[in-house]
Order: sequence, then structure tokens, then C-alpha cells
Amino acid sequence: MTRYEFLLEMDDILGLPAGTLRGDEKLDELENWDSTSLITLVALADANNGTHLSPSQIVTCATVADLLQLAGAGR
Amino acid sequence: MSSEIKTMQGEVPKAPQFPTSASDIFRKRRTLKKELLKQTNLVQTRIAILGGSTTTEVTSMLEVFLLAQGIQPAFYVSGYNCYCEDILFENPDLWNFKPDIVFIHTTWHNVSQFPELLEAEAEVEHRVRREMARFESLWEKIHTGLGALIIQNNFDLPRLRPLGNLEASESFGRVNFLLRLNAEFGSYARNHSRFLINDILYLSAEVGLAAWFEHSYWYTFHMALGPTATVALARNVAAIVKSVYGKSKKCLVLDLDNTLWGGVIGDDGVQDLILGRDHPVGEAFVDFQRYVKGLQRRGIILAVCSKNDLENAKEGFSHPDNVLKLEDFSAFKANWESKPENIREITAELNIGLDSVVFVDDNPAERALVAEQLPEVAVPNVGSDVSLFEEILEHERYFEVDKVVPDDLSRSAYYSSNSQRSAYLSDFGNYGEFLASLEMTAEIAPFCPVYLERITQLINKTNQFNLTTRRYTSAEVAAIARDPAFITLYGRLADKFGDNGLVSVLVGRVFDKTVELDLWLMSCRVLKREMEFAMFDTLVEQCQERGIGRIVGVYVPSKKNGMVAAHYASLGFSRVELNSGDREVWQYDMPPTYSARTRYIFKIAQALPTAANA
Repeated sequence: MTRYEFLLEMDDILGLPAGTLRGDEKLDELENWDSTSLITLVALADANNGTHLSPSQIVTCATVADLLQLAGAGR
Repeated sequence: MSSEIKTMQGEVPKAPQFPTSASDIFRKRRTLKKELLKQTNLVQTRIAILGGSTTTEVTSMLEVFLLAQGIQPAFYVSGYNCYCEDILFENPDLWNFKPDIVFIHTTWHNVSQFPELLEAEAEVEHRVRREMARFESLWEKIHTGLGALIIQNNFDLPRLRPLGNLEASESFGRVNFLLRLNAEFGSYARNHSRFLINDILYLSAEVGLAAWFEHSYWYTFHMALGPTATVALARNVAAIVKSVYGKSKKCLVLDLDNTLWGGVIGDDGVQDLILGRDHPVGEAFVDFQRYVKGLQRRGIILAVCSKNDLENAKEGFSHPDNVLKLEDFSAFKANWESKPENIREITAELNIGLDSVVFVDDNPAERALVAEQLPEVAVPNVGSDVSLFEEILEHERYFEVDKVVPDDLSRSAYYSSNSQRSAYLSDFGNYGEFLASLEMTAEIAPFCPVYLERITQLINKTNQFNLTTRRYTSAEVAAIARDPAFITLYGRLADKFGDNGLVSVLVGRVFDKTVELDLWLMSCRVLKREMEFAMFDTLVEQCQERGIGRIVGVYVPSKKNGMVAAHYASLGFSRVELNSGDREVWQYDMPPTYSARTRYIFKIAQALPTAANA
């Protein structure tokens, strides 16, 4: 998955218009970032590309950029 | 699910496409919620979710699935694993929330103590009793303290089995123990109204234990269910709530060729239809018919909508391997008109709403046409493989019921008779002659115990001929039936074509010399039969016996009860309150001599004991 595709997916999860997220946002400053968003991300990674993101890894992420790195989303 | 959304397209300008995969439902939940909230006329409900594990995701998914059914929930959510404390210590937040429904989301993790290895059978039995007593104390407190309907998970099974297959046979095995508890939960549900089981034993099997319980979600979030399982659970609980609010479907409209049998009857003839156990596809058609027959037996109305000559279509049922017979269908449309037009006629003939209908057809073009022209009708994407039809219908939980009562078993017969009555009507020039020829008899009497379930069911499901659309719980109906401060009446109607069952309910509250009608409803299957006159005559008799001189009728307009706007006027009431908010008040003063309104219904005395004297 490309960086752009990942950010679009995150926009979708957070209910934001496509193209809102740029990658440098802090997760706890995003209004809609909650435990369900986190779980959605894990479920989507499993379903879409077989990348296994464990919930325990995601909880260590502080920014969208950290998530991008964890998901191995390219540029 | 997509078809459930389509059922509401009439009210939603642009219904969202409901995703099918769990991860997509999670991803789209915010967009879905936003779109679904645009519906008008959403039913409001208050649900307390009391969890034995993390419930955030369950709540979030349940909200989406309920909105998809036209139900808008407000939630109270207990703290993590505080389901007992919240109830036993009467958490004021929960008590002030006043839930309509309490959903207890417990799993096998919440069993307080499993049997010890090699524990004696008597001690295991004792443990079962203790665990049941613990849960029963919660349920009773909810019923008495909150008066809410309870939806309780039964138990799933652990993924790991320390005793291997012995888990299932030894009384101290966890699997054996959980199944015993499930049997006890089931028994409690059978013996208590307002208590429904959410069968997670089944759901976990449907999803598969590996996807049901995922270790990473448990250890990170204490979620007892993985995402796929959470979606399955939410869909199932939403179906239960839908059934409680009378929003389940009532009628299955079926195509014939390649839907109920393989082949085209008009081209192939009955001898070449693919149907029967000697052919792999023929066997799948037999099994689908058997499934449909099962639905019909428990009260789902069946209808045929087929592009065929009528005689050809009927001839198809002469094939000896049909499980379904012609008489199983309450309406039969086989012609060359459009299917949306035929479905409209079927619903008119059966006196049901389009939103009560599920349409099954192997032809995607016909499905698309019906979905587009009749957005209220549920049109599942069944594909063309008959072996999947029943599974797709099951998955959508269209026909979920919260109770099966004896009247359900013969409902299809009522509707079939109704179709015969309609055909019979065309033989008469004068409607009165038609009514007289029906030889109608009614049994109208105060509520009696044997009918309380059916009365409650009618009260909670009748929307059209319903003057106030007031809903009552079983307990309230039972209490009203015993209370001399109320006049209660139920009405059954039979005619030469068959018994229509219990079709009308009336509740009046007596104040001195006046009775105010809190509730008056009637099933639409007996519209224009003058049953409302027979009910009114009996009400007047009851008032005369009790020295009541005035009847006050209340009409609360709703989106669906426009048909009774002139009801009180037609009975000679005068309107006494104009435009007082959202209700109209009408009044009828007892004349010195009353002439019965009923002309065509013969009333019979009933011999059953009433609730008051039972």
C-alpha cells in the first residue's frame, strides 16, 4: 500500500474528507481517533494486504507517521 | 445487509451501500451512521449495554446496525466488567437512564468458577445452581427495578480445551459445564417474558472460534470478540431489537423458474424440471423449498411472483418432488406484468405493507427492477446458486421473531383465506351482501390469560389501524387485565373461509362515569368487515353495565395511522379538543337507547376465564 492510499484509508476511518490527513498529525489530537479506529486499522491491514499489525504495536504509535511506518506504507 | 438498507430508500434520499466485510463496516461506520441518520421516522430506543468485557466496539457496531433497521438508539455503557455492580448496587446513572432494553454482554470469561478436575457430579450441579442464582438475581433486579426488556448472551466456548474431547463428556469439563448453563439460560427464557437470549454459542460457530476470540484483542483491549465476531454479534442483537419493535419481515415473495425449481416450466414442461434428490442441483432446490416451508409453518406468508402463464406456473407444482404445495401460497401472481406491479398487487391483496416483503428471484435484472421501483421491499442479492439462497436469507435475519405464538402457526392460512375472500367479493355487486354472505362470528370479551401473549404482540406490532400507537409490555398488559379500573376487550373474528384469530384490542381507563380509550387497534387483515362496530357495541354494553355515561376517544396521529383519522367521527363521537398538541380528543355520550352498529357480525359469548377472575 502506498503512503497516499494509507492516508486515504485513515481519512475514511476517521470520517474525514479524502485528502485531509497529511501524515504529520498527532493521533491524540485527532478528534475521531479512538479505540475503534485503532481496531479498524488492524482489521483492515489483516483483510487488505495480509500485513499483521498487532493492536499492541499500534498503541505505541503517537503520530500518523508512526502508523505509516508500522504499516510499511511506501511513499 | 445491503438489502436492509434498500428497504429504507423511500425515506433516505441516498441510502449508503452497506459493506459486507467486517473490516469495511468498521471503516465506514462514521459515514454509514451519518447517512443513516438522514432517515425520517426513526424509532427511538434506550439501550443499556452492560459488559463483562470491553464493549466500545460492540456499541459502535450495534448503533450502525440498528440505524440500518430504522431504529435510533441512545446508549448507556457500563464500565469495564461492571455488569454486576451496576445492577446490584443500582448505579444511579443506569437507573436515571431508564433503559427500554438492557443488553448483558457476557461471555465464558465471565463464568465465576468452573468445576475442579474430577469434581463430583453433585458439586458440579451445585455450581450450575449457584451460577444461575447469580445471573437470575441480576435479571430479576432489572425486571423489577428498571422494567426493561433483557437481551442476555448465552455462553460461547473457549478456544482451548485442556481436557481435549473429554471437555464435552465429563461433567467437570468446561464445555460440558457451559452447555449446561446454556440449557438453564434457555429454560429461564422460556419461562420469563421480556427476556431474550442472544445466542452467541451459535454465532461463534458461525464465525468460527479462531475469528470469534482473538488473543491479541483480548490481551491488548480485553475484547472478548474479534472484529468479525463483533460485527456478527451486532447484526444479531440488532435483529432481536428489530423483532421486538415489530420490524421483522412478514412475507416472502418468490419467483418460480430457477428459484423454486431448476429449468423453465413454460419451455421444459413439468417432466424436465430439475427437482428431486436424484440430481445434485435438484436436491438443493428441494432443500430450499423445505427451508421456505419451515418459514411458512411458523407464520411467514408466502407468495409467488413469476413471469409465466398462470396454468403453466401452477402445473409446476404437480411435480412430485415439490415440498411446497399450491395451497402454501397466500397469493399467486403468474403473468407477464412487471414484477414491481405484481408485488404491489400482492401486498394490496394481503393487506400488508411493502416494507414487510422480502423478494427472492435468481434473475439479477428482476431484482434490480424491484429494488429500484419498490425501495421498501428487501431484495437480497441471492445470486443464482440455489444452494446459497437459504444461507443468504438467514444471514440477513429478515424473519427474526421474539416469540412464536399459536396464532403464528396458522397466519398463512388466514392470508390465504383473505385472498379467497377478495376473489369471492368480485361475485357481489353490493358490499353489504358480501359481508352478510361471509357469515361472520366474533368472540369479544375482556382480556383472558390464554390470549395475553397474542394481545401484547398485537399491541406492539400494529401500526396502521391503531388510534394511539401506545405500546405496553407483557407485564403491563397482565396488570391492566387484572385491574378493575380498566375496561379491556379483545376480539376474534371467524367467517365461512376460516378463523382470522385475535384481531382487535381495546383498553379503556375508567374515571368515575367516564372511560377514556388508551388503546384501540385492529389487524388490517379484517379491515372493512365492521369488526370495529362489533367492538364498539361490546364496549357500549360494558359501559352500560358499569353505569358509565361517557366514552372519550383519543387519536394520536402517526405516519402510519392515517386510516383511522375519521374513526371516532364515523362512530358518532364529537371532537372536543382541537389541535391540542399532537393528539385529538373525541367524546361520545351514551344515548338513552343505543342501536347496535353491527349489521353483519354475529357475536358469540366466550367461555374462557378472564384475567380478572382466573
